[in-house]
Amino acid sequence: MAIPNFLYKNNRVLLKELTKTDFKLRYQGSVLGYLWALLRPLMMFAILYIVFAKLLRIGGDIPHYPVYLLVGTTFWSFFSECTNQGIQAMVTRGDLIRKICFPKYIVVVSATLTAVINVLINLVVIVIFALIDGVTPSWTWLLVPLLMFELYIFSLGIAFLLGAINVKYRDITSIWDVLMQALFYAVPIIYPISMVASTNITAAKIILLNPISQVIQDIRYSLVTKETITTWHFVGEENFIWKFIPIIIVIVMLVWGSWYFRKKSKKFAEEI
Amino acid sequence: MKEEAPVVISVKNLHKSFKLPTERAWGLKQAIFNRLKGIKGYTEQKVLDNISFDIHQNEFVGIVGRNGSGKSTLLKTLAKIYFPEKGSVDINGTLVPFIELGVGFNPELSGRENVYLNGALLGFSNKEMDTMYDEIVDFAELRPFMDQKLKNFSSGMQVRLAFSIAIRARGDILLLDEVLAVGDAEFQKKCTDYFAAIKGKQTVILVTHDMGNVERYCNRAILIEEGKVKLDGKPKEVTEAYKKLWG
Repeated sequence: MAIPNFLYKNNRVLLKELTKTDFKLRYQGSVLGYLWALLRPLMMFAILYIVFAKLLRIGGDIPHYPVYLLVGTTFWSFFSECTNQGIQAMVTRGDLIRKICFPKYIVVVSATLTAVINVLINLVVIVIFALIDGVTPSWTWLLVPLLMFELYIFSLGIAFLLGAINVKYRDITSIWDVLMQALFYAVPIIYPISMVASTNITAAKIILLNPISQVIQDIRYSLVTKETITTWHFVGEENFIWKFIPIIIVIVMLVWGSWYFRKKSKKFAEEI
Repeated sequence: MKEEAPVVISVKNLHKSFKLPTERAWGLKQAIFNRLKGIKGYTEQKVLDNISFDIHQNEFVGIVGRNGSGKSTLLKTLAKIYFPEKGSVDINGTLVPFIELGVGFNPELSGRENVYLNGALLGFSNKEMDTMYDEIVDFAELRPFMDQKLKNFSSGMQVRLAFSIAIRARGDILLLDEVLAVGDAEFQKKCTDYFAAIKGKQTVILVTHDMGNVERYCNRAILIEEGKVKLDGKPKEVTEAYKKLWG
């Protein structure tokens, strides 16, 4: 299934058209429109902030805790939206796949790009919040796009793998739902990792081997406060290799996911 | 005379079979259950059985056959939606498939946006669509409506737009499933006139049940029965064989 080179540009056109359509239709018929891309994560943040920071008084000793929390919820939402939309993409676009021949990966990528647009808008809000809260800008802010890219690659790998399985076994949708619930608590979003580290160091280290935790902690470190515990500083004192586990997971996921997707994509039109 | 024209589609020993789930093998539970019990969970059905033919440039080919004979599977394999299981399909030129009209049409987008989206799905760049856009809109006679949402188009107007994209998209080979004319009487006449005019000037493959159309437009017809080429020849011979078989 070699795709001739001259078609490559047209694949980009298709990707652009599909993404534009997705984004345009997402908030179709709502009064506030695109504003929801901002309001939804902000409201989720407000709820978590009231419950965890104000009522339960978690994270009191972390500087700029509201921004710190906002970083966690925003990038978790990004991961969640990316994977959910990506896994569902082949099924929701089933009508196209059954009737037209085009590179199938475009459907998955276009579904995830809407999440990318959303997170970029939210990143602007985070930066504004950070400045208002008195965070001093630093050169490490420049690392944030790189970290976002890492998280995106990870989501894309998962979306390719599970999306391909989901074509035949729709159970994946439900399994992923439950798994996401579990993952939410396995990633230090609402609780500070220092809380886990103070009782069980091994547990904290395992949590930090998860690429999602690594990215969120690194973004907090680069953007909000240097008092963040990161995978790089906390894991692998005895053996250096442990520090690279999250990035290895990300690369393996992408390679495995796209290989599997490519292998299975020949049969999508028949199976969907 | 036709033998001199270059071959644009070459189908060689094409086989295709589908695995049809016997008891509902959909879902993970059933898949695991079946594997444990050693049940295959599907029966294999041959849909295309050793099909070979060449189509030359500017031929207007009608593919006929009963429901379930494999016509649509053949068309989808030509369009590369399905992959050949054995054998090969070689295509020389750009192929514009219309298995269904208006694939990817979205009611919430405007007529114009839908044309560009549909074009992108068929593999045309925006620049290429720019050059085709006016012709498409003029043929559909929908210029005053193009900035309105598709959901506000009447259903007749929607198929007119979809159909106009199909025949105005500049591909070398046109694949059509069952559609030759849409819309009201006047527009239908426009469609049939169009096909009469391009006969012998463009490569068209048409899957149909309408023997009248085969005789009117095609200069070659292929009869498919149980996944095999039963007859390949002059439209008149093929339609007569078809009528003899199933009255």
